[in-house]
Amino acid sequence: MRIVIAEDLLLLRDGLIRILTDTGHTVVAAVDNATDLRTAVAEHRPDLSIVDVRLPPGFRDEGLRAALAIRAETPDAPVLILSQYVERAYAADLLADGRGAVGYLLKDRVTSLDDFLDAIERVAAGGTAMDPEVVSQLFARNSRNRGLAALTPREREVLGLMAQGLSNSAICAALVLAPVSVEKHISNILAKLDLPPADDTHRRVRAVLAYLNQ
Amino acid sequence: MGAVTSAPPRTPWAGRTVRSLGYLASAVPVGIPAFAWFVASVVLVGLLSLSRLGPHAFLASATAARALAGVERRRADRLLRHPVASPYVPLTAPNVTGRARQLAGSPATWRDAAWLALLFPLSLVCLLPALACTLVTLGLVTAPAWLWAVPNPNAPWFVAPLVSTWPGRCVASLVGVALAVPVAYLVVRVADGQVRFAGWLLGIGAQQALAQRLVETRVRVVDAQAAELRRIERDLHDGAQARIVAAGMTLALAERKLRAGPPTAADDVRLARRQLDDALAELRRLVRGIHPPILTDRGLAEALSALAADSPLAVDVHAAGTPQLPAAVESAAYFVVAEALTNAAKHADATSCRIDIHAEPGLLTVRVRDDGRGGADPAGAGLDGLRRRAEALGGTLTVTSPAGGPTVVLAELPCAS
Repeated sequence: MRIVIAEDLLLLRDGLIRILTDTGHTVVAAVDNATDLRTAVAEHRPDLSIVDVRLPPGFRDEGLRAALAIRAETPDAPVLILSQYVERAYAADLLADGRGAVGYLLKDRVTSLDDFLDAIERVAAGGTAMDPEVVSQLFARNSRNRGLAALTPREREVLGLMAQGLSNSAICAALVLAPVSVEKHISNILAKLDLPPADDTHRRVRAVLAYLNQ
Repeated sequence: MGAVTSAPPRTPWAGRTVRSLGYLASAVPVGIPAFAWFVASVVLVGLLSLSRLGPHAFLASATAARALAGVERRRADRLLRHPVASPYVPLTAPNVTGRARQLAGSPATWRDAAWLALLFPLSLVCLLPALACTLVTLGLVTAPAWLWAVPNPNAPWFVAPLVSTWPGRCVASLVGVALAVPVAYLVVRVADGQVRFAGWLLGIGAQQALAQRLVETRVRVVDAQAAELRRIERDLHDGAQARIVAAGMTLALAERKLRAGPPTAADDVRLARRQLDDALAELRRLVRGIHPPILTDRGLAEALSALAADSPLAVDVHAAGTPQLPAAVESAAYFVVAEALTNAAKHADATSCRIDIHAEPGLLTVRVRDDGRGGADPAGAGLDGLRRRAEALGGTLTVTSPAGGPTVVLAELPCAS
């Protein structure tokens, strides 16, 4: 996969490059600010951009804003946002366009290598990768939601993994369940939340996230 | 004074004496309207206080008093170079009654009134002896020039030679010159006493000056502290947190390479990686408590919207148009709302909440009202911490939470912007 990285801290930029190249990806550009990021994306048309939220010059959320600008210009450009902290509001910004190919993860998740590699594959393929912490923030704000209250503990677990963007087979592996039972849980969840059944995983994930985000 | 001004080399004393006499004399024309104001105010405010116009009358009377007191301060400064700082604090209440109450609660209002009531009698008491002494001295000094024109056959025997003979008149003149110095001293001292008294009543007291200095230093301390907290947040972000993530990345690669090797080594590396994750989670919690990053990123209104969205309650945020405020104020407002929302959800059993942020010049008001069952303990650890935070900014935090609700948390935070 051809990847552009935007990260201002040298230590982390190098770490990311090392991890990505070691796992068979190509880092076509590694920049340290938002302006260079936009230039690099326009120039290289990468399969994925991995962007730090906080970038110079303001060290606020320039990275996120640049990512949104890139997606406004090139709607399906896959972007994975990395951050030292996660804010549900930022996730909502990223998900607002209703398209896939977005991810929002804590930087710590990079160190769970398999999960991280799975996440970048997912985002590059048009899917979604939401940090578990964002998902738990979403659950917290929906704690009085009747639909969620009707879910069994197991269904809540499955919903949490769905919201992170995991595919059915990944959910099976994570919860050590048979594919049939996962599918049954999912159709129960969609029914209880009054969401339309859909075969397309990505679309289903986005519907779940939109539901939790509303 | 004439004695001294007539002496060719003008000493600083000469000017000072003239100015002192000018100060004492000009007190009378100010003292008369001041006295009239005092009498009229007592009568009018007294009568109207029985009606609804009481606050209006009081406000008008105090405004006039401030104008007159302003004249007095300028007089002290211009004539005697005795600057008197104005002690007034701005009136912030939205309506007449509130402003009248603020004025009534301000010592400066009553000190002004005391000065204006005293000025007329005091000016007479001070001016008359000073003027009499000055005129007598002037008269004596110039005796040879005029005394011959008013022969006084009834003068007592011990004065007669001074009055009726040329040498005697010259001696009188010398006596006048000798008197000039103590008389000038007396005039200067009396005026000085009067202006000091004016300064004591019309200026800021020692306590108020101290309080003002304390407020200024406190503002600086709070600002410095807020800047320091943001710096710590930045340092953690760029330093400790980044280093731990980088170490985690290295371990993740090592773990991957060890998969082919002995399983125990891979387990150790995995454990080390998890421990780093815990360290990061811990640091993140710490940073959020120090200075929430979203506040830096997007300002108060957006940070509050994020808080509202994350709350399980239906929260209405009215914070549109909130300008950028000092970091310490924004952060205090943020934590007030965060704590109030947590309490509303956890203890008050509320289902909805309304947040109002009102920014006016010099004051930020934060009001959080829930629909819960009330009974919050204002002395509880969370609210008490917020109160101390508000007080450090010179503000207040009030919690009203009657049994049965609703709970209203109101923070008033002064801000310099």
